[in-house]
Amino acid sequence: MDMRRPAAASTRGQILIEDVVKVYDPDGAAVLAVDHCTLEIEAGEICMIVGPSGCGKTTLLNAIAGFHEITSGRIVMDGEVLCSTEQPRSTPGPDRIVVFQNGALFPWKSNLENVIFGPVVQGKLARKEAIDKGRAMLADAGLSGVEHNYPGEVSSGMRRRVEIVRALMNDPRVLLLDEPYRALDSLTKSVMHEALLEIYYRNKVTIFFITHDLEEAIFLGHRVAIMTTRPCKPKKVLNVDIAHPRDYGVLTSKRFRELIEETNDAVHEEALKAFQAGEKEG
Amino acid sequence: MEAALRAGAADDAVAVLRDTTPFGDGSEALLQRVAAIARPARYDAGERIYSAGDAADDIYVVVSGRAEHVFMPEVGAREANKRVPRGGVFGWAGLLLGQTQRLATVTASEPTEVLRIDTEALVELLESEPLEGGHVMERFAGMIQRDFTLPTLLAQVRRLSGPLTEEMSSLSLTMYRLSLWLKSPRPYLMVIGFALFLGFWYFAVEIWKLPRFREMPGITGVVKEWFSPSPTYGLSLYSAEYYQHIAMSVWRVTQAFVLATVLGVPVGLLLGWSRKFKEYVFPVFETLRPIPILAWVPLAIVMFIATESAVVYLAFLASFFATALNTMLGVESIDESYVRAANCLGADEWQVFRHVIIPGALPFIFTGLQISIGVSWFSLVAAEMVSGQYGLGYVIWTSYVMVRYPTIVIGMVTLGLVGYTTSALVRIAGDYLMEWRVRELALTER
Repeated sequence: MDMRRPAAASTRGQILIEDVVKVYDPDGAAVLAVDHCTLEIEAGEICMIVGPSGCGKTTLLNAIAGFHEITSGRIVMDGEVLCSTEQPRSTPGPDRIVVFQNGALFPWKSNLENVIFGPVVQGKLARKEAIDKGRAMLADAGLSGVEHNYPGEVSSGMRRRVEIVRALMNDPRVLLLDEPYRALDSLTKSVMHEALLEIYYRNKVTIFFITHDLEEAIFLGHRVAIMTTRPCKPKKVLNVDIAHPRDYGVLTSKRFRELIEETNDAVHEEALKAFQAGEKEG
Repeated sequence: MEAALRAGAADDAVAVLRDTTPFGDGSEALLQRVAAIARPARYDAGERIYSAGDAADDIYVVVSGRAEHVFMPEVGAREANKRVPRGGVFGWAGLLLGQTQRLATVTASEPTEVLRIDTEALVELLESEPLEGGHVMERFAGMIQRDFTLPTLLAQVRRLSGPLTEEMSSLSLTMYRLSLWLKSPRPYLMVIGFALFLGFWYFAVEIWKLPRFREMPGITGVVKEWFSPSPTYGLSLYSAEYYQHIAMSVWRVTQAFVLATVLGVPVGLLLGWSRKFKEYVFPVFETLRPIPILAWVPLAIVMFIATESAVVYLAFLASFFATALNTMLGVESIDESYVRAANCLGADEWQVFRHVIIPGALPFIFTGLQISIGVSWFSLVAAEMVSGQYGLGYVIWTSYVMVRYPTIVIGMVTLGLVGYTTSALVRIAGDYLMEWRVRELALTER
């Protein structure tokens, strides 16, 4: 068995980033954020993007999600062009859902209301059906009992899980995670990693996951793309040959340590560059 | 179909109970005891678990699988059909006041394992632990009213040992908060603050007779006049005229405030939402806003022939600016991520407006309304002093002209009290509309 292949051979959610360039403020002091970046995210895999803070990896995510324009190049999902030089901005939609760094559950809606938001506003499910599905999915994620609480009333770890459930309710092709566990303490983080894998094994969705934490990247990903700091492009793509399903035992395994050693230098080098350039967080 | 609970299975039962709303945060000891009276049962797909009208004996907790729960139409449940997954609880009709029969028909929609708990045994168990048991019953009441959306009247859960229905629990919460407040130093500081202020007034005017205070009405004079059935200057708690003045002012402020809210909130939402609208309107808005209300008085009198509408207009004007400006700031303060998330989830522009912009701006809107009601009183009194008949501002001004000094103070104190009441009402309305915020703030103990 080819261990670097995704756990389930999925046919949806392949993303091709082709020669993408992003220049901020093309008229004034042009800042090259992404420089001729080419990367393939296979359908159904967990692709981890690692780079120091402010290296421009979020720019890539924003381009896929449709929050920002690209300057040139092309991003294609399952054969369909999302954005290109001619049409620089894709339209955000429920096939690509972002889980935000600081969380974006609506604090004025209960957890259940948040979860059913997507299908209901799209008119895909009647409210009642959506409620049934939402309850069932929350229960599957070990979250029954918090349906009627507001997000502000549950722990931050739970909020992240609810947010992922909210995304999965729409049956997306790809989940775009933007350092979702950055604000969590390390103990909660370890629980969240296993919970994410469990959700992944059950839902087989492509995951594009941005992080600056190498251990997190290798623990979760099928592949890890280490990005250069501004301008951003892949410096090294690592195939993580540790079989899925994984659990926390992996962290102490020999192979895991070897992979960390193999890549640590590359990551450190970029971190140093970013530090010297004095990039702002973001 | 049923078997006694094996020793190892007891832990599993506790784990399932942990997943339920009513028992979820119970102590390990309590859950062990509940697990001990629970009996496992399994049903095949399509098998009837019970029918509406059967005797309501056991409560069911779903361990695995799924059950189709259909209320009988007479119940008037808002959500008649629902599927109950693991951790779901049904068959609680026996817990309702005066209810001995099943209200719903339940069928296993796939092979389903459940725990059956005898209602009477459970109630007995909960009664033996009044504190925790009461809490569990409260959670049951909450669950029944929310998850099963029964009419509140029907969903009166039996009482164990004390008040346990939803309203009662919120009353006891209020009492609890009140007792906390009384135990904290805050009320005493408040009393001391008032005592110092009133004491200074008393001493300055009546004992020391300080030069600046020589003409001032003394506190004893004011209080005597205010509570007198036959006041020297005609205005006290006992005179009908006093209430006429209050009613007049309240009515004017109400008109101004309602008008300012109805116009100010939409204008503010638009200002924050549409860049173009803001570019048209905001410069004019910012030029007019700093003009003091008193400067508008002559123009208002010219504009409105009737004094009454001129007075309301002046009170409205100040409120309107406060409301619109705060609403705009509220929209601008909304985290971009919420809008992006809504876009990702497929919301169109109008849905974003309705589900993100309006609720997101609500905290600021209510801050604006608090300010708005305050400035509305402020400009009303100014306007009443200049023109108009009746009203508290009018009382204060005419009392000055007619040298009825104690009545001035009566008017002022009344204004303070009425003004405080109206802004408290606005705050209560805000808390009611923003339950999420109240709950969040309660958790952070701010």
